[in-house]
Amino acid sequence: MRLSRLTRLHIWFRLLLIQASWSFERIQGIGFFYALLPGLRKLYRGDKLVEVSRKYDGYFNTHVYLAPLVVGAVLKLEEERAAGAADADTDSLINDFKEIVAAPYAAIGDALFWGGLRPLAAGIALFFAVKGIIWAPLVFLVLYNIVPIWFRTVFYVRGYRQGINSVEFIQRHRLPDWAIHTKEAAVVVLGGLAAFLVFSQFPHHQLPSWMGLLTLIPMVLLSLVARKEVSTLLLVFIVVTTMLLLGIFWVDMFDLLASWGIA
Amino acid sequence: MALNLTLGALISLVCGLDRVAMLQIMISRPIVAAPLTALVLGEPMVGLQIGMMVELLWLARLPVGAAVPPDDTQVAVGATALAVILGHSLHTSGIELLLLCLMVAIPLGKVGQYFERMARQSNGRLARRVDVALRKGALFLAEVQHLRGLVNFSLAAVGTYLLIMVGGLLTIPPVWPLVEQSLSYSSGWVQLALPLVGIAVILGTINVSRAITLFCASFCMAFLLMWLVQK
Repeated sequence: MRLSRLTRLHIWFRLLLIQASWSFERIQGIGFFYALLPGLRKLYRGDKLVEVSRKYDGYFNTHVYLAPLVVGAVLKLEEERAAGAADADTDSLINDFKEIVAAPYAAIGDALFWGGLRPLAAGIALFFAVKGIIWAPLVFLVLYNIVPIWFRTVFYVRGYRQGINSVEFIQRHRLPDWAIHTKEAAVVVLGGLAAFLVFSQFPHHQLPSWMGLLTLIPMVLLSLVARKEVSTLLLVFIVVTTMLLLGIFWVDMFDLLASWGIA
Repeated sequence: MALNLTLGALISLVCGLDRVAMLQIMISRPIVAAPLTALVLGEPMVGLQIGMMVELLWLARLPVGAAVPPDDTQVAVGATALAVILGHSLHTSGIELLLLCLMVAIPLGKVGQYFERMARQSNGRLARRVDVALRKGALFLAEVQHLRGLVNFSLAAVGTYLLIMVGGLLTIPPVWPLVEQSLSYSSGWVQLALPLVGIAVILGTINVSRAITLFCASFCMAFLLMWLVQK
């Protein structure tokens, strides 16, 4: 029995809530069960439905944008099982598939989206924000969400159509390479953004703009400190306190020099 | 003030749920949450400035595995709501008040990590209830337990927001006259420093070969281009 388009759409919408009950013990496990349930209800009845449902409430953890691919593939396998086309090892096949792909997909998704696309989109949007363009948040949302929406939709359909063979679809797209390219692009954009921020700010303080190049030194030093896993909160506290004290000291110093007739 | 507080709480709820529990379309990011809060409260540019300063601060803290990043969403929403509300009550509208609200919100927002951790631990109990429901064959009850996780995450989001608001409303009004003058000397530099600290942290933690070299080259090239265009 093939699941109707309406049922598959219902499952797709439920996937948007896959992390609603995120816990340290099961991570997305309960969410996986919740998303799959409309499909299982169409394929099974009574005790068989409960028996199959209980197989899906265990631990599961993958990237939220790649979970639809796994759910689509599992739906295909359950369809085959319900139709009697699957063999006695379907349980272990489904469990093995979930276990084998979950961690690599999580790593790919984390690198591509959290590590690459998010800072890249944020960096570009911040150019607009610095100029005071109120549409900057929309720029960020559009730039960022194109890729996840594509993943959540196209990969879901692929997973459902190809089942276990959807792994080849992932391999063909060379996503780990894309993750590296996106991160490199993010670094370049952030370099440009830092220059833009500094160049915009220095003239307000009657300082020659070339001095802005010197801000590279503290930034590189801070990045080296950050590599030692020093808390961002501590770095913010130190930098802000230093600036506040320097600001007060500079004004007092200036007043003192003025009283001496030097400045 | 009560209306603004309530509107801020609604925004904190919706944006807070986007962080983990649902959608993940990034309306929880400070660059979106802060301007959205400010737009609802009637001063969009306040939110844009705050979102700009907070967006990069904890961007390098990735939500991977069981890691719980600091709640930059509630820092952005709370700081924005504080800036708008206190701007009216203190009759001031400068960057100095924004910065003070942010400096109060940032450490309080760190506490949001613990609220979110508590929500996730509470969801562990829901998982056990799902097991019990499934043993009884009560599938609908099992589904409801999953959706109750939204309640836990909502409480964490609104709890962090309220902590920031209460902390800010109690500390900022008495402190403001004492620090207003001092902040005016360095407000421009602090406004510049916050995103640069965030960029430095991302640079230090992003897993890219020769990241610092790439960053410096991009920075110098962009700086040179802007200087030439200005000339």
